[in-house]
Order: sequence, then structure tokens, then C-alpha cells
Amino acid sequence: MDILFLLIPLSVALALLILGGLGWAVWRGQFEALEQEGERILHDD
Amino acid sequence: MQTAPSLPLLSAGPVPPAAGSATPWAALDEPAEWEGFSRPAAGREGWWESCLAIEGMHCAACALTVESVLRKLPGVDAVQVNGVTAVARLQWQPQATRPSAWMAALRQAGYGALPAGDLLLAGNRQRAQRLMLWRWLVAGFCMMQVMMYAAPAYLAPAGEITPDIRALLGWASWVLTLPVLLFSCWPFFAAALRDVRHLRIGMDVPVALGVLIAFGASTAATFDPASPWGEHASYDSVPMFVFFLLSGRLLEQRLRDRTAGALEALMRRLPDSVERQEADGSFRAVAVRRLVAGDLVRVLPGQAFPADGDVESGESRVDQSLLTGESKPLLRRAGDGVIAGSHNLTSLLLVRVRRVGAQTRYAEIVALMEQASLEKPGLVQLVDRIASPFLAAVLLAAAAAAWWWWPFGQAHAMAVAVSVLIVTCPCALSLATPAAMLAGAGALARRGVLVRKLQALESCAAVDTVIFDKTGTLTEDRMDVVMAHTPAGVNRDEVCGMAGALARHSLHPVSRAIAARFPGVEWVASEVEEVTGRGLRGKVARLNGSDARYLYLGSAFFCRAPVQGRDVPVLQAHLSDGEHYLAGFELDEAMRPDAAQAVAALLKLGIRVQLLSGDTGRAVAQLARRAGIEWCFAECTPEAKLEHVCGLQREGHRVMMVGDGMNDGPSLAVADVSMAMGQAVPLAQAGADFIMTGNRLLTVADVLAQARRTRAVVRQNLLWAALYNATCVPLAILGYMPTWLAGFGMAASSLLVVANSARLARNAGKN
Repeated sequence: MDILFLLIPLSVALALLILGGLGWAVWRGQFEALEQEGERILHDD
Repeated sequence: MQTAPSLPLLSAGPVPPAAGSATPWAALDEPAEWEGFSRPAAGREGWWESCLAIEGMHCAACALTVESVLRKLPGVDAVQVNGVTAVARLQWQPQATRPSAWMAALRQAGYGALPAGDLLLAGNRQRAQRLMLWRWLVAGFCMMQVMMYAAPAYLAPAGEITPDIRALLGWASWVLTLPVLLFSCWPFFAAALRDVRHLRIGMDVPVALGVLIAFGASTAATFDPASPWGEHASYDSVPMFVFFLLSGRLLEQRLRDRTAGALEALMRRLPDSVERQEADGSFRAVAVRRLVAGDLVRVLPGQAFPADGDVESGESRVDQSLLTGESKPLLRRAGDGVIAGSHNLTSLLLVRVRRVGAQTRYAEIVALMEQASLEKPGLVQLVDRIASPFLAAVLLAAAAAAWWWWPFGQAHAMAVAVSVLIVTCPCALSLATPAAMLAGAGALARRGVLVRKLQALESCAAVDTVIFDKTGTLTEDRMDVVMAHTPAGVNRDEVCGMAGALARHSLHPVSRAIAARFPGVEWVASEVEEVTGRGLRGKVARLNGSDARYLYLGSAFFCRAPVQGRDVPVLQAHLSDGEHYLAGFELDEAMRPDAAQAVAALLKLGIRVQLLSGDTGRAVAQLARRAGIEWCFAECTPEAKLEHVCGLQREGHRVMMVGDGMNDGPSLAVADVSMAMGQAVPLAQAGADFIMTGNRLLTVADVLAQARRTRAVVRQNLLWAALYNATCVPLAILGYMPTWLAGFGMAASSLLVVANSARLARNAGKN
């Protein structure tokens, strides 16, 4: 059970990291034009 | 001067270079111009931020192309293009680049661009929306994670979880609850703080208190398990109800944006720049606010007119639907007027500017709408007055509940108090009326009726009598031939055609009416002479020159022939050839084409329709019969009209008065609800509650139907809000309402009210 003392803090850190990613996506406007970001990967530059 | 009325332009396609000037956008390079659509970039010295409305963008791939085109330019940075709204936002350095460079680059890539200053304002709203979404996502994500940490405490048998693991889980929950408390909850705290500072109780005070108490109790339980708060922290409830509350607000914001869309779409319709003809005859883009009356501007298909003006050359269809409710595109050719804010649809027009800025009809409409949306109807004021004591009572109830439950355990007592604070939903109560009224007014605006006072929508629902004024309201300001009679032995079609051909040469209202009724295309008139106040004379012949006769059209005396017309007290015109009487025409004011239809629609709603007029009895009775109105009152002075309206009101009727807003001011003012035809007068001067911007009388019935629907929705909303609070608050006080359910109930309740109101905006098209 000692592993929990590592895993739980790790999960907290991970959660905060994911929150950061969500924030990045929100402020890039990715939730406003949903197709555009998907097509970006097909674009050359 | 350039006249290119039918350039093959596509409104949605790439825009070709503007002919007539080598660098059409050079005007935008002057600081005075670009400062109009730019602002200093936040946090970057020497950088400016601008918005461009991109034309010719079809898909997401276009957005990326535009983005890369702009990004390649030197001195341009932080480019964001939204494929849905077709708006590009960029930051740039004035030393390194100028607006004309971006425009040229975009044009080369096949896109048109317009500088858009008002989009910077829209950017503020976008920021607010993103912030809201971000708060909501934080609350939602933390809620899920905290729930994971809370699950073991619920699932494991008592004593299975060691205290150190419990403390660890508590700590983890605490860390993830903090962002919810500090960031997601901030709007509630900010509003509550503001209220407290002004010594009043607002909607957010109970919410903020509830969140703080719940978090405080859980924190104490986590970090000091020996404290009386018990060792069982309930973190899961805080992010959960914050999430529910924010979900409600987020959806509410979206719904309201959509409802207000009609008003907003109207308010943001003017372009920012326009192509104006310079002294050398070329066209250059200038900011709209630089326009003055007398300028000649070129308006491409797909663009909005920047000012009121007259078409100088070209022929195109124009969409005025948002301004007048007229849904069909109207044909506009040289000499016709166009109004600012309406759209040019099919081909290029050259327009001579007549009125700019605040004098345009568009500006008047926007000002009226802004004024109306600021006003608070009586019901809203009433609810606002109740809200404060209601909230105070809620706070007291929460305290009383806590006091009552204290002996049974502090933690439980606090949970009950928090539930009471969260579950009460004054929002539903205070939103019930304004949400419905704004939605109703927005829907009416799209149909060409401006609501000047929201209060009127309330009183309108009770109207049982509609009184029409005659001149200018049921009738148009032109004459119409109601009857043409010919003596025996005369070919009716022939003489009417001849009269029409002769009448074409005069602008007198009677001549116009005859010419409009009898086009007389197979006849031509020559040597026409007009004798002012008497009539017309001239030679009328067939197109091939045969059957030529010298004819007289006008008063009986002028015609020099024994009148065989009927002896009736209406306006008449006669036709003769100097010896023989050929035809007589009876004229009357032209009734609006939809008058009879409108009256029928009103009768179907169960409303009494009356006609009041200062005109003679016969004319009024005739018009009333044609329109299908049962009660009519003729030869009314303004005082008599006033007395009539007051008399009806004394009998207990609710009266709506429909007039042209000019001659019937007093009776419009005294009626319960008034409506003016908004064509003749400056809108701001028409002292009516509703103003028809189009000229469709049918909208009168629309307004009444919409007002009734609005009243029904307001009642539903108020009933729901009252029922909800009356059931849930006692349940919470009795301890039957877990905190998460309280949060859910509150969010759902206010959402229901807003969604119910939004139905009004959707139903507007149906009767």
C-alpha cells in the first residue's frame, strides 16, 4: 500500500497538468472552430 | 465617373482588386485611420492589435491559409483566424508593417479583408466566454478527480482505510478543490463582495457563503481530524455544486447570447470602411466615420450600406429585413433611397450619401433599442424589491437550520445550512420576467417592430380593443381609383387607356393614381399641357399614330362637357374630348394592401377593431367596409378621439391605438398601448410604445399575439420559480437535501427559466 504515497501525489500533479492543457486549448480558441484544429495537421506549415 | 452597375462579382467569392486606384488600402496606412480599428496590444510595448473581417473564406482550410499568409508578413505576429466567424486577429508593429501590406497579401491569396473595429469589442465578449468555459472546465475536471479520491471512503468497510491513507486522500482532495475555490468560484465571490461592500444582499451572497462554509468545514476535518467537524471531510460536494452552478451559468450565457443575437446583429451591421470617390474620380477606402453628406460611395454586393443615401447608378436587390421586417429583397435603382445597415445583395451600386452617423435611420433604431433594453418593466421592479428581503430570509433560515441541527452534530448542521444557502434560487425569480420580455422583444425586432418600452409588452397582452387611425395608417399617402364609369356607347377600356396615357405626363396625385391604375400602354400622348389646379390636355393617339384625339382630363369645368358622373362627395376626375363626356373617375385614398388581412387576424384573436378618423362620414364608412371594420367614427377632432379612447377605458377596455405617430399624438399617449407607423416621422419623436419600421399592418396582430405568449411565459416562469423555492427550501431546512442535489436544483431551475423564455424567440415566426 506504500505505493499509494507516490501514486496519489502523482495523480494530483497529472490532474494539474491536464488542467493546464485544457486551459491552453481554451485560450487558443480550439473550442470555437472545431474542425479547423483537426485540419491543421494536414497543412504543410 | 465610373459606372459599372453589373460587374460580375460574387458576394461570397474572392474579391478582385478594386478598379480605379492602384493601392486601394493606402488610406488605411495613416495613423488616424488604423487607430480606428486597432488598439495597443496588452503587455507588448510598440505593438498594436487589429481585427479583420475576412471575405471569401469557406472552410477550416481557408482559415489556416489566411493564418499562414498573415504570419509570413514581417512585423505581424500572434495571428489567430477563426474559421467559423471569419475573423482574423493579429498583432503588429507600425515600424515594420502597415495595414495596406496585409490587405495586399490577402488579396493576392484570393481573400478580401475589411478592417473591423467593432470586432475588437466583440473580442472582449469572446474573452469573457473563454474565461467562463475555462472556469467550468476546471470545476468539472476537479470534480471528477476529487470524486475518485472520495470513493474509497464511501466504498471501503469502516476501519479498512488506515488514518494515514485517509489523510493522504484528504490532502489530495484539498489540493484539487483549491483551484475550484480560487478560480472557478471567483465570479460568485466577486459579486458577493461587491454586494457586501454596498451593504445589500445579492443573489451571490448565499452561494459564496455556502461554498466558504463547506470548504472551511472540510479543511478543518482534514487537517485536524480530532476537531468537532468530524473526521469525514466532504470535499466531493464543493466542486460538484460549483460545477452544477457554473454549468447553469454557462448555458444561460449561451442561450442569452443567442436570444440577444437579433438585437446584436442589428447593432453591429455598419461596415468600418467604405470605398469613396475622390476628387480625381478614383475610389479609395476610407473609414465610415469620415463620410459626409454628398459623398459618392461604391457598395459591392454582400456589403452593408454605410449611410442613408440615394442610388446614383446601378440596379440591385437590397435586403432590409433587419431594419423593416420586410423579408423580400427589394429592387433599388437610380433615384431610390437605401438605408444604412441594410445589405446590398446582387450587384454593385453607387450611392450618394444623404445622412451619416447619428442621423441615419439605423442609428435611430439602435438608440431606441438600447434605451428599451435598459428600461425595467414594472414586474421586474417588483421582483427586485422582493429579492432582497427574500435573500435575507434565506440567510436567517440557514442560520436557524444550523442552530437547530447543532446538537445532532456540527458537521451535519453545517451541511444543512450550506444546502439551504445553495438551494434557494432567487435567480429563477428575478430572471423570470426580463428573460422572457427580452426574448419577446428580440423576436419582434426581427419582424420589423421596435419595442420602445418593455413595459408595453406587459400591458399589450391585456388589450381587447384596437383603434386604427385612418389617414396614413390604414391608408397610404397616395390616391387610388376606386371606380371608373363611362357613358353608354363608349368603349371603356379604350378611354381608360387614353386617360392613363395622358395622366402619365403629370405628377399630380390624381394623375398618378389614374396612370397607375390604367397603364394605357397602347396609347401615346403628345403636346400635353398641364393647367395647374384644373387638369391636363393633350393629343392622344395609338402607338401607330391612328385615332388621334385632343382630350381633356381634370375637373368638370375644365373638361367643357356636361358631367354625367354621379353626384357623390368624393374626389372625381373627368375625361372628355371637348364635346363628348368620355369617362369619370372616383378617387379615394389607397388602402394598404394588407389592411383587410390585418383586421381579420385581429378579429380572430378576439379583439374589437375600431376606426377613428377626422375625415367625412362617407369616406370613413367606405374604407371601414373595405377593411372589414365594424365600428367606425368619422369627423373626429383630436379632442373627440381623446374622449373616445378615455370613454372606452372608463368602460374597462384596454385600448391599443395605432396611428402614424404624427397627428394623433394625444390619443396615442392616453391609450394603454400605442403603436406608430414609423415611416413618416423621425423614430425618436414618435411617442409610441411600439414602432413599426416596415409598413405591414399585419404586424399589429403579431405584436398582440407575441405579447400574449410573452405574458404566458412570464407567468409560467414566476410560477415555477415560486413553486421551486417553496418546496426545496423547506426540504433543505429539514435536512433532506444533500449539498450536491441543492446545487443541481438551483442550476436546473434558473436554466429552465431561461430556456422557457428562449422559446419565445423561436416561435416568433408562427402565429
